Order: sequence, then C-alpha cells, then structure tokens
Amino acid sequence: MTEGNGLIGARVPRQEDIRLLTGRARFVDDVELPGMLEAAVLRSPVAHARIVNVDVSAAAKLPGVYAVVTGADVKAVVKTPQPVIWRIIPDMFIPDGYPLAVGKVRYLGQGIVAVAAKDRATAEDAFELIDVEYEELPAISSLQDALAEDAPRLYDEWPSNVIGRTTIPKGDVTAAFAEADVVLTESFRFARQMGTPLETRGSVATWDPFTDRLDVWLGTQSPNLARELFGEVLGLSADKVRVRTPDLGGGFGNKFDFYGEEIVAAILSRKTGKPVKLLEDRAESFVANAHSREQKIDVELAAKNDGTITGIRGTVYGVLGGELSTIGIGPCWTAAALMTGPYDIQNIELNVVCVATNKSPYGSYRGYGLPKANFVQEHLVEQLARRLGMDAHAVRRKNFIPPEAFPYTSAIFTFDSGRYAECLDLCLKTVEQAGWAELREEARAAGKAVGIGYSFHNELTAFGPSRIVNLAGLQHSGFDEEVVRIDSTGHVTVYTGQSAIGQGIHTALAQVAAHSLGVPLEHVTVISGDTDTCPYTGYGTGASRAAAVGGAAVLGAATRLKAKVLRIAGHILEVSPDDLAVEDGRVYVKGVPDRSVSMAEIGDAAYRRIKLPEDESPTLEEREVFDPTNVATSFGCTAVLAEVDRETGVVRLLGYLIAHDCGTVINPLIVDGQLHGGAAQAVGGALYEELVYDGDGQIRTTTFMDYLIPTASEIPPFGIEHMATPAEHIPGGFKGMGEAGVIGGGAAVAHAIEDALHEYGVDISSLPITPPRLLAAIREGSQ
Amino acid sequence: MKAAAFDYLRASSVDEAVEALAAHEDAKVLAGGQSLVPLLNLRLARPSVIVDINHLDLGYVRRDNGHLAIGALTRQRVAETSSLIQTEAPLLAEALQHIGHVTIRNRGTIGGSIAHADPAAELPAVALALDASFVVHGTRGSRVIAAADFFRGPLTTALDPDELLVEVRVPVWPGACAVEELTRRHGDFALVAVFVAIAVDPDGTCQGARIAVSGAGPVPVRARAAEAALIGRTLSALVISEAAQQVPAATEPSSDIHAPAEYRREMSAVLARRAITRAIGGAR
Repeated sequence: MTEGNGLIGARVPRQEDIRLLTGRARFVDDVELPGMLEAAVLRSPVAHARIVNVDVSAAAKLPGVYAVVTGADVKAVVKTPQPVIWRIIPDMFIPDGYPLAVGKVRYLGQGIVAVAAKDRATAEDAFELIDVEYEELPAISSLQDALAEDAPRLYDEWPSNVIGRTTIPKGDVTAAFAEADVVLTESFRFARQMGTPLETRGSVATWDPFTDRLDVWLGTQSPNLARELFGEVLGLSADKVRVRTPDLGGGFGNKFDFYGEEIVAAILSRKTGKPVKLLEDRAESFVANAHSREQKIDVELAAKNDGTITGIRGTVYGVLGGELSTIGIGPCWTAAALMTGPYDIQNIELNVVCVATNKSPYGSYRGYGLPKANFVQEHLVEQLARRLGMDAHAVRRKNFIPPEAFPYTSAIFTFDSGRYAECLDLCLKTVEQAGWAELREEARAAGKAVGIGYSFHNELTAFGPSRIVNLAGLQHSGFDEEVVRIDSTGHVTVYTGQSAIGQGIHTALAQVAAHSLGVPLEHVTVISGDTDTCPYTGYGTGASRAAAVGGAAVLGAATRLKAKVLRIAGHILEVSPDDLAVEDGRVYVKGVPDRSVSMAEIGDAAYRRIKLPEDESPTLEEREVFDPTNVATSFGCTAVLAEVDRETGVVRLLGYLIAHDCGTVINPLIVDGQLHGGAAQAVGGALYEELVYDGDGQIRTTTFMDYLIPTASEIPPFGIEHMATPAEHIPGGFKGMGEAGVIGGGAAVAHAIEDALHEYGVDISSLPITPPRLLAAIREGSQ
Repeated sequence: MKAAAFDYLRASSVDEAVEALAAHEDAKVLAGGQSLVPLLNLRLARPSVIVDINHLDLGYVRRDNGHLAIGALTRQRVAETSSLIQTEAPLLAEALQHIGHVTIRNRGTIGGSIAHADPAAELPAVALALDASFVVHGTRGSRVIAAADFFRGPLTTALDPDELLVEVRVPVWPGACAVEELTRRHGDFALVAVFVAIAVDPDGTCQGARIAVSGAGPVPVRARAAEAALIGRTLSALVISEAAQQVPAATEPSSDIHAPAEYRREMSAVLARRAITRAIGGAR
C-alpha cells in the first residue's frame, strides 16, 4: 500500500450511482443530433444460403427512406474485411467477413441490407419492399454435423469446417499417463450463451462531408481500438476518427467486439450526409450480438493414488459461428490454456479445434473461456476425490500451486502470486460461520435434498504486457495511459481511456488519485469516453484490467504530480519539499500544521498568479504509461448451498459465498458488486441460459421468454470475504476481478446439486442444468 | 422492432367497439396490452385497426346471485387484491399471483388474458376449473359461453370476430383450493400448472373436486377422472396420490425448448398431488 489518505481500500459509494439511479445517465439511444436518421438492418431468415439476388429498388423509393445499402455496396467502399485481431493460431483459416453478407449467408440473422430512414419504423417498413432471393443450402447447426465426414462446408475455399487447430503442450504427457495410477475420462458440453446487457449495442455516426471526419457515438468497451478499426476498414487516419462513448448499460465483453453495424452506420452517414443512429433492438440482439460459451471438451486426467494430478490431455472443440468475430477463437483457446487453473499439473497436452457452424459469431463474454476451464478442472478434482475415496478439498490442497512456487509458469501464462490454501480455508470458515452444515442436516432430516458445493478458481487479470500480447498474435497492445491534472482551483481531473460500463471505474480511479495526492475524493473528477480528449489504453476495458492497469497508471501519474505540488508548496512556504506533508487538500510543514498552503493556492500559483520555483514550468499535469510486465492472477473459492426438488428436478439456490483475493482492493463495495454481478451470470449459465438452434439453423430463443436470464427471484443472497495478496509487479498491488464472479459459479452450483443428490450419484458434466435434464439424471442414478 | 402502421380507435361504448370489430376483420382489441403490444412490435400481429377499450366501464368485481361478476377490463392486480375474490374465489386470487410480475398485472386484464387464450396461462384454467362463463357482446347482441366451450386451441376461442368479451362470471367456490405451478423462473409461463378446488364435508369426505391443468395441451383441460377418484372418498395420502396419477391421462402436452412433453405429462401428476394435499391443509 502506498502512502496516502486511506481512500485506497475505502468502501465509499460510487460517484456514478446518483446519475445512473436517477435516470440522468445518457446512453447511445439518448444521443439526438440535428437531422439525424435512424437505420435498421434487414437480417437473413435462413441459416445457410447463396444470395442469388437482392432487389432494393422499391424500398429505396419509399417516402422517408434516405439510403439503402447491400453487402455488395458495403464491400465496394471498405478497404479491408471486418478485422479479426486475435490471430493466435498462425495457420488458421480466417475467412473474409463483411459488415453485410456478400454472396453467401452463413448464419440466421446475418445482415443483408441496411436502410437509413426518417425513423426506425419507416426503415422497417422498407424491409417489406426488399426482395432477397436465397438459394438455401443445408445448415450446420451442431458440432457433430459440422465434423461429419460428408458435412456440407461453410467455406468452399476451405477443405472442412475445422478452420483452426493448435495444441498447448507442457512436459511429457505420454509418460504421465503411462505411469498414472488412475485415469479419468470425461466429456463436457457447454451450451451457447451470451452476455445480455440491459442496453443493447448501438452507434450514432456522423461523417462530416467537408472535413471527411467520422464522429461516432458508440456503445463500446474499447474506444481507442474502435477508432483504429474504423480507420482500417474505412481507410481513414486515426485523427479523422473520433469515438465517444456515452454511459454504457453493461458491457460484458459483447461490447468489446467491433461489429459490422458500426461500419454500416458510418457508410450510411457518408452516403446521406446526415448523422445516422443504428441500434440493435432486443429481438435482433439474440442473433446480432456475439454469442459465446459453446464448447465440447473431452479430457483425460492422470493421477497418483495419493491424489496428485500428474497430467491432463484432451481436446477443446470451439463451436464457432458462420463468421469470425473480432477476437476470432479467443475464448476457446483460453479455455485450453487455463485448463489447469490453480493446480500444479506438469504434463499437459490440450488441443484446440475450432469448428465453423451456421450460427451467430462466437465472441467475447465475461469469463472468456475460464468458466469452462474451471468447470472442467473442478469436476475432475471432485471425480478424482470420489474415485480415490478422498475429500475433494484434500485433492485441491494436494495439487494447489503452493505460495512459494510463484511466480509459476503454467502451460502458457505465468501466475504472479497466490495463497490458494488460505483462500480455501477462508471460504470453509465462512461456510462454517454461516451454519450451512447444520442447515443441510436439518433439511435432510426433513426429507429434503440439500447440498453444498465448492469450486476454486484463479483468474487472469490486468491484461497486458504489450510485447507478449503482440508475440501471441494479438493485434492490440496491453498498456494503459492515464492523465492526472490539478486545475487552477486545486481540484483534480483524471482523464482515462478506460470505459465506464457500469462497473464503477470512475470511482475507483478517483480513489487512487485522491489517495495518492492527498485530496478529498469529491475534489476528483474522472473523464472517459472520448478518443479526442482521453488518453490511450491498449485492448480496452475488458479482461479484468481497468482498475489494475488503470489504477497503476493513475497512481504513477498522481505520485509524480504530488512531487511537483510539494516543490511549489515548498517554494511558497520557503521550506524543503521533504519537510512537507499533504492532508485533505492542504500542504503543511510537518510538525507545524499552521504553516500550510491549500491545493487551491497551489493551483492558482501554477496557472494564474505564477509563484513557482525558477526551473518549474506552469500547469499541474502528469501523464503515465503503464505496461505491466506480467498479467496478475486473482483467485477465489465459491461455495453454494442448493436445494433440489427430487420429483421435478427444480433447483433452488439458498446461499452463495465467495472468498476472494484480488490483491490490494481499491473499493470493497465495487469489488463486491462486480462479484455479485458475475455470480448472477454464473447462476444464469449454470441453470437457465441456452441459445437453442434447431436442425435447420433456426434460432429458437429470440426473446427473454425463451432465453432465460435469472431475475432477482432466482438469485440467492451473496456473501463475500476478502483477503489481499498484492501484485508485486503492479504499483499499488492491484489485481483485476471483473470476471471472477462468473468463473467459479457453474462448478460450485453443479457440485451443490451433486451433493444434494449424493444418494443418486448424479454426475453433472454439461450446462445448463435444466429441470427435465436433472430429473432424468436423478432417475438414471436411482436405477 | 417497431409496429407497422395501424389506425387507432378509442371506443367510447361497447357497441362502438364491436361495430369497429365488425367493420375490420383484422382489428385487434387493446385492453392491458401485455400480449398484444409485443406482438405488434415484433410485427407478428399486423391489425389494420386497434380498438382501444380502456375507456369502457368494464372494470368491476361484484357478487351477483351465486357468482362473481368480473368486468373484462378489471386489472389483474385489482382482482388479486380484491377481498371479494379472495373470499369467494380464492383459487382465482391465488392463481393471479402467478401471472408474470406485479408490473404486468397492474396493466394486464382479466378479460384480456382469457380472450388471448394462451394454453399456458392461468386464467383460462381457473375459469375451466370453476365452471366460469363469459358474457360476450357482438353486433347481433349478447350471449353467454361456458368456459368448457370457449377455448378452442392455442390463442383461439369461440369468440366471433365481431364479439367482445365483456364479463367473466365465476361461480363462488369459497372452499379449499391450491395452485401448483412448475416454472423455469418466477413469473414465467408455467411448463405445467395444476389448479385444484376441493370441497370436504365435516366428516372428511370429499364432496366436490375440480382439477384443471394448463400448459399441458392446446387448451387447458379438466382432469375429470382424477376428480371422480376423489369425490366421495376420505382424502388419505394414498387416495390423493392415486387420483393424481389419473391427471396425466387428461393432458396432451407438446414438447418445446423448455421441456419435453413427457416431462410435462409426468409433472402434472406431481403437481396435482401437491396441490390437492395443500388445498386440504396437508403438508406438501
């Protein structure tokens, strides 16, 4: 912990909340510009087809319609296909995708034509005048179909639907299995799911015909990257593109990705000379928003009779969509790369097989492969314990990477620090204090099926370092730049390239600045969301990096700025800066609190009535670029108390506890909120959410009546306990935790259900767990 | 999605409403709008005219000669909290709590839900269980349709295109009752739901039993064999269980993404047993 006023670590309310909670936030749909048009995208009703003809002539003549563009029109003006910036498998087939379909449709909901009109309803009226002739092709709607010998191919120019393969190796896996006492073989299925931000995606693009400058309001987590990708695709230098993000009603990774609609809005604006708003509505969001999670994972685990895990091998099948998203196969690769989680497993051979299907593109979603990796590793630990007649926690402890082994190099990543056994102890103690064991016994005595489940996870956070990220084939950096300014009244403004997506980043960065400068929190304002005025962050706000790398950069800038403040104060008070201290916005002589100067007076001295040392320049501003030397690994243990209705298969969650460590906590309230939100999504992923396609590639879940996200009624009460193992390589010791809640939840829910149904030997290896499926498993177990 | 253009008529009398319905075959009635408005915005419903009946005097609950007369425009939340309904038709009061969420029930109407005739909805099944009848008004006058004759299929009723449902008549049944629903989440349409009303005389003999099931076929159904297995018997756990086993035979559920047909069929027996047991004051 750095010297300061204690605001780092303080449970202070979020500065953002009063605006958000009183309806004063401004989202993309609230942006209204003079002369603005509204656009909409006509989407394919079929999953796989050749586009024989598109006739938009009648639509173009409809009164109120200003412009109609087809895939061919868009392809004619873009300089590149849609960017795929994660190219982690060098020889992977990366098909050219365009903002609207060109030649062929490869998933239901793919954009075909876009219309800009006086309002959205008119644009939708125009759809009814558009004639698209499809020559339908057989649709691939499952992994099995895609891999079949004689499967129809999505891409004529590629020999199969497997578009990429790689292997993640470590040690000698053959020897490990040859020498194993026990080998477990398991197969896991994870349904297609997606993040569902309350605010769907959207943009308002204004292409100025005189300056040739593109100004976009965009609901994005990555404004800097979006600016560059706009530039690449549209042939503009970065100075000709401005991306502004208003308030975001949730990000969840979906809004990291760069979608074709952004380009379509820009092209429509250039074509019409007017601002164009293009929003994804809720119905569209189920096909146009990035999907995620769908994987099949086949693994084998090698272990010794004492519970030591010696090897893991297998294959992660990523069930991709008909086109690649911005991040390509990202989450499928990370599921494999982090399959060993918190465990020291020396011998690894994990294949990643990426398969194209006629479904929506597979993109980013909070957790990014880790929820699957965690489910697999924790399921294997529990199975191994059952097989050996050991306690599952004993197997965990036996295989945890011990504190003294850090930094620890796993198959790919180096984990910086961790105290896993202590975190498990903290979780067990919390469960004990909550009296869950007694609750379970009482419930069982009353004939109810109640169980407790656990999972332990680690999480890759503070995504960087730029050079490693680049070496891995990622076309973005991982550093963060922050600017801290004290103005002429002594108040502080932090300019950040991070995006406020509801997570509380303004408050967190303000706390770091206020703490480091010694000023009251309410004297700090954080500005984000404008590429013209805010600094640069590599990647964007995702991968649990904003607070960690942003916090570190603010800390660095503020610390240097404080030194200048002290030099100026020393000049005014005629003492050495070393003899000064700052508290509550006043700089005073140590031991002589009456001899002081306020931050306001220092601001005035630096900007207006210049009173500076000879060699000091006016103004008070520092800029820090922080590129972490490594990622930071947070970790946590999740415990779930669940009740199962044996006759119906309905699961009710009764309690949910997380013991968590994300290094130095900036604001426990924010961390708790992040964990709660992630855990709610874990509950959805475990019990409710599934994007269902039928055999013809038709999606069956396009409303919230069919795609079930948990509501307040389905969310159990949460309890969070913190411990802190600071990241030594990150100033401030911060680690990220934005995805933590979602990672460990699925496994803990499954294990609670297995415990509740222990007499049936139920073995849960696929998500989500629905009542009919669980009832079938109970019956299978009781036979 | 935005609705396609339509004409809007704010009816100032029942006659004006039914005349508009008669004049425009594809007209739709706007009551609470909880089903219609999403259908409009998804362009799944494309009426040429919307006939808004919200200003008609059809919101009331009164006791009338052995039954409750409930105006079709009565908001579900108003009915749910009506002491008359709670005491004279507690099955209806309990069932109303299962419809969506409070904000939905604040707008949704009794008549709207019945006329919409979603096979998984609560109110059609309650009406069937309690032998309710519906007063409908058309250009040729009024008629009364029994609930048993009203529901013809999913979203299909015996209403003629020019007819408006104006009143629901629910025979008083102040006795034991219970609703058991199986939903994926609180407030969802039921995968299957069972509605039970039981009359037990002081010596413990079952004098009357009504069992209706929703979500288990194209229309809500009565499980009459199960009812017969209760009437005249002392309701022991065994009798209840045996009666409940008769319920699935009355159902013809279909499969969808949320549950296979067989699951729904089997669950109707589980829910029936629980509902009967709870109705007569036993534990689940």
